[in-house]
Amino acid sequence: MERQSPLFTCFLYVCAVLLAVVILAPIAWLFIMSISPAADLAAKPLRWWPQTADFSRYKVLLSTLENSEGAAFTSSLRNSIEVAGMATIAAIALAIPAGWAVSRTPSVGWSLSLVIATYMLPPVALAVPLYMGLAHLGMLNNVFGLALVYLTILAPFTTWLMKSGFDSIPKEIEAAAMIDGAGLFQTLKIITLPLAMPVMATSALFAFLLAWDEFFYALLFTSDQRAKTLTVAIADLAGGRVSDYGLIATAGVLAALPPVLIGLVMQRALISGLTNGGVKG
Amino acid sequence: MSALEIQNIRKSYGALETLKGIDISLESGEFLVLLGSSGCGKSTLLNIIAGLAEATSGDIHIGGRSVLGVHPKDRDIAMVFQSYALYPNLSIHRNIGFGLEMRKVPKVERDKAVREAARLLQIEPLLERKPSQLSGGQRQRVAIGRALVRKPEVFLFDEPLSNLDAKLRMEMRTELKRLHQMLKTTVVYVTHDQIEAMTLATRIAVMRDGRIEQLGTPDEIYNHPATLYVATFVGAPPMNLLNATAHQGSLRIDGTSITLPMPPTKAQIKQEQQLVIGIRPETLYLDESGQLEAVCEVAELTGPELIVTAQAGSQRLMACLPPRTAIAEGEMLKLGFDAGSLQLFDRATGLRCA
Repeated sequence: MERQSPLFTCFLYVCAVLLAVVILAPIAWLFIMSISPAADLAAKPLRWWPQTADFSRYKVLLSTLENSEGAAFTSSLRNSIEVAGMATIAAIALAIPAGWAVSRTPSVGWSLSLVIATYMLPPVALAVPLYMGLAHLGMLNNVFGLALVYLTILAPFTTWLMKSGFDSIPKEIEAAAMIDGAGLFQTLKIITLPLAMPVMATSALFAFLLAWDEFFYALLFTSDQRAKTLTVAIADLAGGRVSDYGLIATAGVLAALPPVLIGLVMQRALISGLTNGGVKG
Repeated sequence: MSALEIQNIRKSYGALETLKGIDISLESGEFLVLLGSSGCGKSTLLNIIAGLAEATSGDIHIGGRSVLGVHPKDRDIAMVFQSYALYPNLSIHRNIGFGLEMRKVPKVERDKAVREAARLLQIEPLLERKPSQLSGGQRQRVAIGRALVRKPEVFLFDEPLSNLDAKLRMEMRTELKRLHQMLKTTVVYVTHDQIEAMTLATRIAVMRDGRIEQLGTPDEIYNHPATLYVATFVGAPPMNLLNATAHQGSLRIDGTSITLPMPPTKAQIKQEQQLVIGIRPETLYLDESGQLEAVCEVAELTGPELIVTAQAGSQRLMACLPPRTAIAEGEMLKLGFDAGSLQLFDRATGLRCA
């Protein structure tokens, strides 16, 4: 847009700033809460800006003293990373062959639709059967058990995403590789998967976030530090008779860090448009 | 020994039969063009030759060996796709050498072959780039290069030029012809462009509805079309087709009083038989004593020629005349033609009266 009135340009900037504020304000408030002294948070009227920065809560949560709030938090942090990580890796490992097969064989597309349809069921409908199943396998209150449950949520979603990713890679490229003498695994390894990298990274990121933020199943299927995840641990902080809002906010800030880090690392892989130039257009 | 032998190939998708028995035998070094409008089955046939699709019945021999059920990579073929199908994540060098790489050709030898192909196609400076950094014409060259290095028995081209603009298409056409003359390879080339077919082919197979309508040299296809379909499909502007009736040893054009002498033909023409006369527009010329009379409707100057659309009775007629001919709309034209250039078809069967 070369010809744009200054007024309109100004309007665009105002909108952009407004959007940024709306998105960032809660996060900023979360951080401010986490470093405000308890008195400031309980004061009436509310003190929006703390008089002194108080980082002691971070120390409390990250301490590893036996039976402390810190021990509960750090173990839940570890559990969350383990559960979300395992579920994501397994989901991607399943989604690559499944998504590719459905993308290249349209006649079996109905099976994916069926899986997606079960995905529409509310979690509460599946809670009881899943609980009984896990109990039967002896996997209640166990990170592997929870990861397995998360896999049932993540796999349909990642398969579906990967399928649309594979759809955008022309079949001719694989046919050409086949004529050139590449076997199926060579074709996938050298040609298809590198081209599907952006969508693979996207699916992994979203799958990880989905598992990271999951609360309902984690609450039902875990009972102590051996398997409790972050979302449950944060809820526990709020569950006592006296709630330290600052502490909850601190846990929120810490819980948000791993996904943010992963997002930053993945950013390079998320750059799409890698397939440009292989075929016309 | 024939390089490629296609025997009674049929292909059905459920009840739909897209190929209805194709037989072609190709000598080594021939350039066969499969010509037809979209949906005639030409690409399906090419995919069956390549092994990307399986025929319902029939057999294919490449280099004297049946390739039924043989994997594409073991068929000794190379294919150039309409969409180029380059590997976007690999360099041009690796794109061209990929077939050799997969066949475990030593790196030094591979490198030499890639450079040789690049030199032939004049893409040497581009070898280190990625496909996205090339123009359409350059990508097409890379795709051809990828096929060239393999030195296969048969080259397959699937409408390779249809994504290029008109000027580039003409250049690449000449380039392909030059390559074929130099390398003497066997080629099967699919196109819907009759100019490409005429210029490149040593033989053309005109296809329609899953059948071969006519298989012959460009000269035969153009000057002696076997059917009305071939007559209309090849040539621009297309061949004039006038309904006529045999009448006392001559031809009377329907709806007019024009009678033309019966051309020499071995076929038995019955009295009052319903026929179609075919005359190429470029064989017509203005002639005071010409028997064909028509009223000029439109005259279009294309540069090298003047294309005149005229009306003979109720039938349309086109003539390519020299560009400086002065013709006014509504003028009565008298057109002459060489008696040998007149084609005769049976109206009921659409077949040529040989």
